[in-house]
Amino acid sequence: MQPEKKKYSIKTDFSMLAILIIPIAVAVNFVGGQLASILKLPMYLDTIGTIFSAMLCGPWVGAVAGALTNIVTGIANPVNFAFIPVNIIVGLVVGFLARANMFSTWWKWIISMILMALASIISAAPIAVLVFGGVTGSGTSIITAAAMAAGANIWAAVIGTEGVFTVLDRIISFVISMLVIKVIPPRTLVKFGCGEMYIKKPVAAAAQEEPADTTESK
Amino acid sequence: MWREKLELHKSNRIAALYPSCKFLVVVLYSVCSLLLGSIGVGEGQYSLYLIPWFLVVPALCVASGIGPRFWKAIQKVIFIAALILVVQALLIPSEKIVWQLGFLKVYESGLRSGINLSFSVMNIAGIFVWMFQTTENREIARALENSGMNYKVTYVFISTLQMIDVLGKNSRTIMNAQRARGVETEGNLIVCAKAFFPSLVPLILGAITNTEERVLTLESKGFDVQCEKTHLFNLERSGHEKVVDVIAIAVTVAVVVWRVVLWIL
Repeated sequence: MQPEKKKYSIKTDFSMLAILIIPIAVAVNFVGGQLASILKLPMYLDTIGTIFSAMLCGPWVGAVAGALTNIVTGIANPVNFAFIPVNIIVGLVVGFLARANMFSTWWKWIISMILMALASIISAAPIAVLVFGGVTGSGTSIITAAAMAAGANIWAAVIGTEGVFTVLDRIISFVISMLVIKVIPPRTLVKFGCGEMYIKKPVAAAAQEEPADTTESK
Repeated sequence: MWREKLELHKSNRIAALYPSCKFLVVVLYSVCSLLLGSIGVGEGQYSLYLIPWFLVVPALCVASGIGPRFWKAIQKVIFIAALILVVQALLIPSEKIVWQLGFLKVYESGLRSGINLSFSVMNIAGIFVWMFQTTENREIARALENSGMNYKVTYVFISTLQMIDVLGKNSRTIMNAQRARGVETEGNLIVCAKAFFPSLVPLILGAITNTEERVLTLESKGFDVQCEKTHLFNLERSGHEKVVDVIAIAVTVAVVVWRVVLWIL
């Protein structure tokens, strides 16, 4: 039996649960970035919250979580305001991929990760070049500057270095979001806008007959 | 026990301005910075007016009584601006060389765009630093609500700032617990990357499962009820907003006229 196609509206997207997920998403972005710097990883890893909120609650919630992240971090360092569009686009792209059920099998994951990374690079590179002249003060700026010193064009230098790190960043962020979603019990998942996509069908069928066997440990 | 101060009384007149008035100043100052940045001075067409213009920001901050806090926050911005200037001036090659020291060559077009970009960033970021250092977050939230924003938006904003503290603490607890279990958090890149997962996944999971309870709590307390809300915290206008608005608009008009005149001539 084919389930009828789900209709989405922005108003129902922002349910009570979604509203409460936004602060958590922003805080996870923040803490993820901090953890990455404590563990001295050469990546930002500050979009994990945006990605999982968009995967669970859809594009608009993801976009709000992304924008709010940069607004909050911008209070301490206003340079982050310039990158608000990048985080919004991350939320939108992931959210629409989630609605298109692009996170169900492994080959769809790969396509999704590539699309996520591409969207970030395309939106971030013009801001980095036109507003900051290619350097944004992060660890990757040194590599960008070195590439420029070696004679590379500023656009090539920015897209090249940002590209490599963005792809790695997105892979790790996506894997973490997926690990989290895999262990959320189905009774919680159904409450999220896009949550049903991640419930394994046999498990869901078994859950109706035998409700005890729904939580699956790692 | 820590108890939140309910009302705010600021003695400094500039710091006590209403948030929307400060925001107008920020917007107009940014517009002026962009306009001044487009005026080239002298032979090299460098946008030198931005440099004295930047003195406005520290002066404003000292007058608002937040000198030390401003210095702390602006350091990151100055670092980025300096980096932009150096990279642009040394690494964007062009025909004309302004200054040479050994193998270091300062190119004219690079220096021009470097000065423009770095001082624009300093000016615009600096005025935002002033606004956020003189305004508390709950003042911003209250002002947003007064200007007709939905109370849910301000709830999300305030709740976000609290959630960052809560999750920050939780993440340290989880990391210590995982370290006690034997997860290595120091070492080479792969070891560190492996430590990242067991620290973050339980954190997010715990936060999401707690959310369900928070939904029930908020709904049982009538968060969704459509009625006039009462506030514990009220904002007061300092009474000088009109004067500041007029000064800001007058300065902006002067800059715009100057820019237009330079275009015509």
